[in-house]
Amino acid sequence: MNCVEFRRQLVVDPHASGAEFVRHRGECARCAAAAERALEFESALQRALAVEPPVQLVESVLLAQATAQRRRRSAVRRVALFALAASLALAVGVFGTRVEATPLSALAVAHVESEASVLRMVGAVSASEVGAAFAQRGVKLDHVPAGVSFVACCPMGPHATVHLMMPENDDPVTVIYVVDQRTAQRDDFVRDGWSGRVLPLGSGTLILLARHPLAFDRVEAIWRGAIASQMAR
Amino acid sequence: MSSRQRQFDALVRGYSADLYRYGYWLCGEEALARDLVQETLLRAWKSLDSLRETAAAKSWLITILRREHARLYERKVPILVDIDDVDLADTSDAHAPEAVGEEALVRAAMRRLDPKYREPLVMQVLGGFSCDEIARELNISSAAVMTQLFRARQKLKAMLGGNRAGAEVHELR
Repeated sequence: MNCVEFRRQLVVDPHASGAEFVRHRGECARCAAAAERALEFESALQRALAVEPPVQLVESVLLAQATAQRRRRSAVRRVALFALAASLALAVGVFGTRVEATPLSALAVAHVESEASVLRMVGAVSASEVGAAFAQRGVKLDHVPAGVSFVACCPMGPHATVHLMMPENDDPVTVIYVVDQRTAQRDDFVRDGWSGRVLPLGSGTLILLARHPLAFDRVEAIWRGAIASQMAR
Repeated sequence: MSSRQRQFDALVRGYSADLYRYGYWLCGEEALARDLVQETLLRAWKSLDSLRETAAAKSWLITILRREHARLYERKVPILVDIDDVDLADTSDAHAPEAVGEEALVRAAMRRLDPKYREPLVMQVLGGFSCDEIARELNISSAAVMTQLFRARQKLKAMLGGNRAGAEVHELR
């Protein structure tokens, strides 16, 4: 390999390790110096190309996958239950009974359990992301509370919600703001091992879920301050 | 958790960052790159059974990402920043692609590079792919890849003329 060939190979692949390439570098001082400069440039190029991925990229992909899976399963179930639903509707008509909608507390517990990976998130989400999620749901916050580790606009059953996590020490608190339904009254509940609180707030419903309700009063006060001025519909 | 789910989790945790970087340099836009990664991995999930060899995972994902990019390309126009528009005084976000200093200049020069030169260069520098692997992925000959890599670095260094890295162009004969 001569100098011209070496220099050409150097530009094509500065990390080349072929025997002739390595031998020439060992024998030619000028080409060795050129190789050193090329590798220096290569390091600068590698640093420049290594843009930082978004903080919650992995979590958001896993969440999207879990959500897509759940939707597919729901679609299958919907088809399978179609006949049963029709029969039930007929029974309601015949016997005059009333089928109650699934309560928000049950929907919230099911939603949190289907997105369990979110519970482990501890990194901070920026105030602008939190504000943007609420804005997407048509809610303008008076101020954006700190201490949020996850935020997403999630469907929860038939409802539109903003789903947030607040990592309170060892017991993260899930905060779900249901924008399209305002519950009639405040209620504390225990369901499937979860402690929960449902309360009317602004024009929607605030739901808190955790393994223990210790932080509920504090978290409720935080979100009352942020959403209080939203007018009830 | 099923073995299929574990395999998917490993792919997501192992390759999301690489895919994001590759996607970013493919489309030049952070939000679109994030969407590309998500769409790529969701498609990978659907066809996970077709991944037979662990060693082939990265190139398999890159292939999916390139297809997704081709699909999205007509819907979204990439934002290209001219090298002269880089604001060297902006130090608000050191992690952003517009970070100050030499890196910002190299990034701006990369954006100006024709995609046919930029893509093999990104595959080599970020992905660690060999010329033969790049040739297979881009469906061109190895000789063509070598020519594109040569011209990519030449053009890049020419654009960076006057900088430390740009001085290397004078070594090319």
